[in-house]
Amino acid sequence: MGEMKQDITGLLDELAIKIMVIEPGDLSAVGEILEILEKLRDSEGGDGQAVLQQMLKSFQEALQALIMGELPDTAESYEQFAECIGRMQEIVRDGEDEAVIAAFCSHLNAIGCALDPAELFGAEAAGENLPFLKDRELLECFIDESFEHLGSIESLVLELEKNPEDSEAINGVFRAFHTIKGTSLSLDLEEISNLAHATENLLSEVRSGRFPMDAETTEVVLGVTDTLISMVSHVRDISENGGGYTPADTSEQLALIDQLMGEKEGKVSAQAVVVEEEEMAVPSATPDFLQDIDLLSSFISEAFEHLESIELNVLELENNPEDLEIINNIFRPFHTVKGVSGFLNLMTINKLAHATENLLDDVRNGKIAMNSDIIDIVLNVGDFLRTMIQNVSEVLDKGPQVFQEYDISEFVDRIQAVRSGTEMIASPVTVSESAEVTQPAVQPPAAPEGDAPGQIGNAQAAPSAKAENTAKKTTSQAAPPAKKKKIGAAIKVDVEKLDGLVNAVGELVIMQTLVRHNPLVAGISDPKLNKDFAQLTRITTDLQKTAMSMRMVPIRQTFQKMTRLVRDLSKKTGKIVNLVMEGEETEIDRNMVDSIYDPLVHMIRNSVDHGVQIPEQRLQAGKPEAGTVKLSAYQKGGHIIIEIADDGEGVNTGKIKEKAIERGLIQEGASYTDHEVNNLIFLPGFSTADKITDVSGRGVGMDVVKRGVENLRGRVELLSTPGEGSLFLMYLPLTLAIIDGIVVRVGSERYIIPTIAIRESMRPQMENYNTIQGKGETLLVRDSLVPVIRLYSVFGVENACTEIAEGITVIIENEGRQRALLVDELLGKQEVVIKSLGGYMQDVQGVAGGTILGDGRVGLILDLAGLISTSEEMAAGEGGNQ
Amino acid sequence: MNEVEKVQGELSHVDQERAGKYLTFNLASEQYGIGILQVREIIGLMEITAVPHTPSYVKGVINLRGSVIPVLDLRTKFNMEPTEYNDRTCIIVVEVHGESGTLLVGMIVDSVSEVLNITAEEIEPPPSFGGEGLDVDNFLGMAKIKGDVKILLNVDNVIGRSGLSHFAESS
Repeated sequence: MGEMKQDITGLLDELAIKIMVIEPGDLSAVGEILEILEKLRDSEGGDGQAVLQQMLKSFQEALQALIMGELPDTAESYEQFAECIGRMQEIVRDGEDEAVIAAFCSHLNAIGCALDPAELFGAEAAGENLPFLKDRELLECFIDESFEHLGSIESLVLELEKNPEDSEAINGVFRAFHTIKGTSLSLDLEEISNLAHATENLLSEVRSGRFPMDAETTEVVLGVTDTLISMVSHVRDISENGGGYTPADTSEQLALIDQLMGEKEGKVSAQAVVVEEEEMAVPSATPDFLQDIDLLSSFISEAFEHLESIELNVLELENNPEDLEIINNIFRPFHTVKGVSGFLNLMTINKLAHATENLLDDVRNGKIAMNSDIIDIVLNVGDFLRTMIQNVSEVLDKGPQVFQEYDISEFVDRIQAVRSGTEMIASPVTVSESAEVTQPAVQPPAAPEGDAPGQIGNAQAAPSAKAENTAKKTTSQAAPPAKKKKIGAAIKVDVEKLDGLVNAVGELVIMQTLVRHNPLVAGISDPKLNKDFAQLTRITTDLQKTAMSMRMVPIRQTFQKMTRLVRDLSKKTGKIVNLVMEGEETEIDRNMVDSIYDPLVHMIRNSVDHGVQIPEQRLQAGKPEAGTVKLSAYQKGGHIIIEIADDGEGVNTGKIKEKAIERGLIQEGASYTDHEVNNLIFLPGFSTADKITDVSGRGVGMDVVKRGVENLRGRVELLSTPGEGSLFLMYLPLTLAIIDGIVVRVGSERYIIPTIAIRESMRPQMENYNTIQGKGETLLVRDSLVPVIRLYSVFGVENACTEIAEGITVIIENEGRQRALLVDELLGKQEVVIKSLGGYMQDVQGVAGGTILGDGRVGLILDLAGLISTSEEMAAGEGGNQ
Repeated sequence: MNEVEKVQGELSHVDQERAGKYLTFNLASEQYGIGILQVREIIGLMEITAVPHTPSYVKGVINLRGSVIPVLDLRTKFNMEPTEYNDRTCIIVVEVHGESGTLLVGMIVDSVSEVLNITAEEIEPPPSFGGEGLDVDNFLGMAKIKGDVKILLNVDNVIGRSGLSHFAESS
């Protein structure tokens, strides 16, 4: 501590010198002073620290005000500042003194900076070191939510007064108090938590019907609500403006509640209902958690989210075992899961979450050191919880008969063992079959307490250490650089409303073009009008961008799910694989997030299983032992491109060719480029793997990828360099709401062909045109025979051009099939907003949807897969008739 | 609230559905009515984009202020003689309650006439014709008003559920 004091004294001396020599108007010098102040505020320890911190803060604020021109930038000001520093030095030297503080304030007041000594003194009690201020993020959430909950409590209680039997309202009030209790407890806001807890108990009696919701109870609950509101406001003030924390006196209200509860005690023996985690009863066989379906379903979806975040954070923790922030991030979701599951009477889940929470709490408090054993336990618990919650969700769907009790004693034992410091050697880890992860058969001994973080990785058995490495690399890449991230206010919006907005904006843009190109309007050459139009265009473009961006989410979450996949895969295959991620901040349409997950999984699997070689082979080939799979996303030319690159052996083109010939997919002797051959792997049922591994090789992978990506109106291709690795390229549209299309005319109808499917378009030459038995028209395009589809005949359009040589053929590709569409004319390229034709016409073959074209009429967007199959059916039908 | 319930209680289930305001329109020499609550709006004829592989009575789709909605020709739907569209021809946009929720559908009619308040007493159940051709489910009943007979349509059945299944068969 002495050293620390020395440090502060030194910095203050420096400050004093700087302020003496400063000239008015020299703002860069002020900047230097501010830097020193930052350093000072960062240093900890020392007597009277809280007050000093407050003084420094005020001082800093005053300086900033000066820079902003709010305070006079004169020599007198600096004199006063110098005096202030003198007072601070006194505080550091002699400890806290009321008179000195008052003097400090008066100096600042002299230059017009309002400061009350009491403000500084308030800090003395607890100052910045209040426990609940440690986690700002949680606190902010808590404050926001609490106000919301308290507001809803008030209206619900008033509702209840009118209609005491309304169980929905009671549940609502109960839940609100429960949430407040839980969160405030994790923030160490004991007084708030106690009060909420007592009220919650009272309400649980009411809920179970043992106690009426009479005027007296209502009065108490409303009283509590008011108290809580003022307590939370107080907390908010502290978090915003600093100052001391003086919890409100809640004893009176607690007594009132006790009294109320006591009154009816004669009738029913007091039962500790709900959340008394420590004395959890043995779980009953029947799932009584089905009482509150609403809460249950929200619990399920939230729990899955929580488990996901747990997993991510645990993987990150492997890298930074000492990072308290991450441990907190793991602790919190467990805490929430514990709380809500307890409330829902999901005792097994509750117990397991609770045990894990305790374990993490020990880690958090430094009682036990984080080690790989704990990480494994937490991951396993996460998986097991997922299994259990999955079961609960099935119960919700199918009824109580599918409910399963799970045995968690093993986990609890393991956790207990770790907590009590016993070394766990070769614990028989039998995670339930449904749990995803298989464990290494022998658990490495737990690192002894207080082990240095750096050694933890080394303590691992070889394969898992490698995997650890992998995860380390991955997470270090994935960890967001900004530690102090600012949390903006956010609201939840119904997706439908959002889609409605996006649609409306799309229409607005089209309408604006319509108006602008109206011949009458276009004929006006008024500069004012033109300027206004330009302005309007800017506004609508902005509006469109904003509306679109609201549907966009960073791809980060999807990418991060791959971390775990690679970790597990590399463990399974005995390979060392580093996953490197790039461009996770690239945004994609939120409707796409789910759909790209499967393709990504398949491609990553392919890269790890087939691409990256085993370490020995890699060393032989002169490559580093650890393989790299690089996952990157970026935006380019109207597409989102996702790349999955590995530095493995590349695709065996010869083998693919062999297989393809074997399966009759290509003809022997025909000339194909390597690139074309490689992309045959996207055909259904194609697999070159000699043996089917656990991971991939069943031949169902790559066509799933292709289909998945094409459903999103994207495409995928494979580039490979033998010996150096392969690269999957996934082209996705920026948004699902808009597609890029070529407008074509057939007779008097106009259709839109998605640009992504178009290979080329041409005026056909008759010498390339062939028929087979007078039918089966084909066109020779770049040495391959492409079947012709006459769009007018498939769609029954009249007055269309029927002569091949007079029309235009558009070569399209869908699911690896090429077709030449005969149309009359190409009208141009256009971005169109996709609209459903409505429930009435959902399944029209060959039509994917409609859109409003520039002239306000509807144009139909072609569904190429449907179009091809329709044309084939029609051809088959004709053949059958003859 | 109570009064309404009382009145409704006295009426039979079907009657309470029937009585109310109707928009009447003409098809050839016949007069039809549809419940006003199902009518979204009446628009003049506009350009219709044909959709392939649909039954002949489905004329196509139109742009209704940014939404794409299907339009059917009621004459063709009822197997009546088609006629040239003229400036009295309109599209009545109705809300149909199908299996997949509420959707908007446009119906082309010769002309619209008026909105009538029809009481339960004025409505008779649709007569049974027997044989083929007429699906009684399509009609709510017949209203006799000042000597005229208005055929009250059950729009949901005409173009809603049965329309959809019919449509699926023919495509």
